Amino acid sequence: MKNSSKKITWRQIPQARLAVWALIAGEFAIFGGLIVLYILNRLKYESWGEMAQHTNVIAGTINTFVLLTSSFFVVKAHEAAVHKDKQKIKLWIWLTIACAFMFLGIKTYEYTHEIMHGFTLPGNALLAEGKTVEVMYWSFYYTMTGLHGLHVIAGALALFFVMRKVTKTEENYHHIEAAGLYWHMVDIVWIFLFPLIYLIH
Amino acid sequence: MNIFPENASSYGAEIDFIFWLITIVVAVAGVVVLFLVLYPIFNRKKDYTKEQRYLKGDNFKQLRWIYLGIVLLAIADFSFLFKEESTWTKIEETLPNKDLHIAVIGRQWMWEFVYPGPDGKLYTDDDVKAINQLHIPVNATVHMDIQAYDVIHSVFIPNARFKQDALPGRSITRWVKMTKTGEYPLTCAEICGIAHANMKATITVESEEDFNKTIAKLYKE
Amino acid sequence: MNTHQKHGFWHRYFFSLDHKDIGFQYMLTIFFMVAIGGFFAYVFRMHLAFPDMEVPLFGLVTNTDYNMLITNHGLIMMMWLALGMLLAVAGNYLIPILIGTDDMAFPKLNKLSYWFFLISVILMVTSFFLPKGGVRGGWTMYPPLSVGDFGYNTPYATFSDRFFSSNSFVLLAIVFEFTALLMGGVNFFVTTLNKRAKGMTLMKMPLVVWMINIASVLFMFSVGPLVAGTFMLLLDINVGTGFYDPYRGGDPLLWEHLFWFFGHPEVYVILLPPLGILAEVISVNSRKPLFGYKFILTMTLIAAVLSMMVWAHHQFVSGIDPRAATVFSIFTIIISFPFAGIILAYIATMWYGKLRFNLPMKWAVGSVVLFTLLGGFTGLHLGASVFDIYAHDTSFVVAHFHYTLFPTVIFGSFAGIYYWFNKFSGRELNKTLGNLHFWLTFIFFNGFAFPLFLLGLAGQQRRVANYSQIEFLMQDPLPLYRQIATISAVILILTQFIFLFNFIWSLLKGKKVSTDNPWEANTLEWQTSSPPPHGNFKTYPIVYHGPYEYNIPDRDTDFTPQNEK
Repeated sequence: MKNSSKKITWRQIPQARLAVWALIAGEFAIFGGLIVLYILNRLKYESWGEMAQHTNVIAGTINTFVLLTSSFFVVKAHEAAVHKDKQKIKLWIWLTIACAFMFLGIKTYEYTHEIMHGFTLPGNALLAEGKTVEVMYWSFYYTMTGLHGLHVIAGALALFFVMRKVTKTEENYHHIEAAGLYWHMVDIVWIFLFPLIYLIH
Repeated sequence: MNIFPENASSYGAEIDFIFWLITIVVAVAGVVVLFLVLYPIFNRKKDYTKEQRYLKGDNFKQLRWIYLGIVLLAIADFSFLFKEESTWTKIEETLPNKDLHIAVIGRQWMWEFVYPGPDGKLYTDDDVKAINQLHIPVNATVHMDIQAYDVIHSVFIPNARFKQDALPGRSITRWVKMTKTGEYPLTCAEICGIAHANMKATITVESEEDFNKTIAKLYKE
Repeated sequence: MNTHQKHGFWHRYFFSLDHKDIGFQYMLTIFFMVAIGGFFAYVFRMHLAFPDMEVPLFGLVTNTDYNMLITNHGLIMMMWLALGMLLAVAGNYLIPILIGTDDMAFPKLNKLSYWFFLISVILMVTSFFLPKGGVRGGWTMYPPLSVGDFGYNTPYATFSDRFFSSNSFVLLAIVFEFTALLMGGVNFFVTTLNKRAKGMTLMKMPLVVWMINIASVLFMFSVGPLVAGTFMLLLDINVGTGFYDPYRGGDPLLWEHLFWFFGHPEVYVILLPPLGILAEVISVNSRKPLFGYKFILTMTLIAAVLSMMVWAHHQFVSGIDPRAATVFSIFTIIISFPFAGIILAYIATMWYGKLRFNLPMKWAVGSVVLFTLLGGFTGLHLGASVFDIYAHDTSFVVAHFHYTLFPTVIFGSFAGIYYWFNKFSGRELNKTLGNLHFWLTFIFFNGFAFPLFLLGLAGQQRRVANYSQIEFLMQDPLPLYRQIATISAVILILTQFIFLFNFIWSLLKGKKVSTDNPWEANTLEWQTSSPPPHGNFKTYPIVYHGPYEYNIPDRDTDFTPQNEK
């Protein structure tokens, strides 16, 4: 292995990238667990899909596009990082963070809307009508999107701090790529969540 | 040896047999392992050449004794599995024809037993309820719908070698057939709060006539 | 190589970035937790044997106290001692120095992970003093009991009642601890892959490094669903979701699945690092190459994969489909094969050896013997689903897992501590006290755990505060068994003070080591000074040999350090 120059050895992979890979694996275990539980509950209850009609599919679709666009921006930022172009890194990362804010804004709008319609937790109003399945649906809805929202915030913060550090110290440009990888993960998780939560009916 | 409580159910002896079967095989294996560990310790002054000592265990020939050990374990293991599988199917997976159908409901911290009333059906208005006192006829196959109101409990009848967790929100049907008359304890085996220790009931296994009398008396009350 | 100046006490024990210091910080924190867990064990064992007596240093034990004591004993020992000692302490101290590098890949992340661990410890300890007292639903925390008085079925509980409850605090503590260990795991993984000394291929790494890494990866994959599940339980308690509440569409069995999907791999997460430590100790003290390095590694990987498929053997009678139990029974049986292979390989290492029956070796052999004979073999009893109907939730299970965990976690850790003490302190432990400690621990551990088998077979359920309420458990000789178990447990706990004294005294005043390599070992940590300097090595070592090359035929010495040509 040592002598063959074509093979990539573990040591040639930047540490930050390895670490983010490991982190992503851990995150997938967490979201994977949640998604499996969600699907099991979906299969258990027939009336599950009815509740999904109360979600705002349009807002969800816009959010999907917002996240996909942000992933594109991160790729551009990575490209800029390869060329060590500080101005462009700043530009693309700020655009990504703007997308994150947009996503969170739309999400807040959705939450407000749903809470106004009485889909709240602990959902005593629904329970009083005997709608236990609905309580489960909204439990999952708020938990999964909420946890994902936290990851959006975390990803945006990570991008911000990495950008600041890289542009200040002018070294470790590959950290942009690592933070970008994490951002892609946040994106991919949403790609899973969106059809499962919004489009199942 | 009398290390188990007295067996009073139709399938208890099979469970005890599995235990003794595994214990005896394991005891023999244990003696072998103990010898294998202690021999090199007591012979540690013995001289071997460096060639004899430089054993890396990197080929099949050197590893063969270990593979043999694994194969022996596998044979023993799968014969246990083979033996116990039929018993498992009999106890847990199948329900023989019932003579009596009752509900056993755990709640903090008592056992509630529900018998069918005069109409012979469970979950009707004339059901008979009893707290912490279960009467069942001897040599009758009793189906138990095991349920819980609040938290997880577990029905444990040591003399019948019977155990089943009771979960809130579902009803689990298992059966038991007691072959000896007498009074036996029934306890809760899953921690369920402050008075978990006090959550116990008595099973009275009695003849069919006595049982009918008891139910009639309970119904009157 | 970076050379740092010496730091003061605060700097060293609270803000250090050095992996050795962080390992030591973890160890001291864990000693503190173990002291609490051990004290709890003492109180409830005393209460079980002598139910109506006031326990010295505690007073009368009520049912509530008892439930709280057993729950927190279990949580502390499983989550903070076992996971912490073997992943955090062993991983932090050993990995960089055994692979011949100066520090972790991310020293700051490492420090952060210790701080998270410390937060979890603080949350855990705080939970005992909250208004409603510590958690008391068993360490497995099955809902609905663990949602308990705080849940939304009791509407009068306010948000602050729910949040400032021990249940919320302990769940948060667990989340923090898992986060700490996950960060540690990422660090181990990257360090091992990326920072190995020149010439150290993956197949030349000491087995303990492999084992800790496999354990970390296994931990990462198995813990994910439980982290999600813990959040869900927290939300059930605090916000009013209904994941585990049957009256809100949820299912309490869900938690059992999530818990054991983590809980069973966790057993192997705990088991693998001590197996690695045993590999080092046994090979060095047998003066022989480890028998079947690749074989052991393969078996470990097989066991790690299989361990994700056996979780429901904790739930044979919990209401799962009985047909599924058969499948899990088969996997449970299959998973015993790789471990049989590993244990036999260790025993084979001892054969034809020139054994040095010194203290680390005693702990290692004790561990192998007890783990195999009484821990592993009784696993076959419990893996047979039929017998598990009877034995589930009885003292038989308690005895079984004490026989699997105590020999591995405690004996394994002691093997490691007695083996590497010379390295990290530069001093020697007192041998007389060490021997006393070993033999007393060995004898009284058996005296404590073996009667539990007999009690379990007699039908004694676990977690019962007062057996005098249950007549059939008060027949002779069962109370006597309980008293034997208790007296042994108390002596076992007192014995650990011998170790504590020996540890502290030797750390401060012990005899200085005369050579850097007292065990004449091959691995890299012994090829630097004791204690190692900041940065571990004066020059980066270059590795030429595998870690277990003892008694190579054409050499004069019977050991060949990895960095010697």
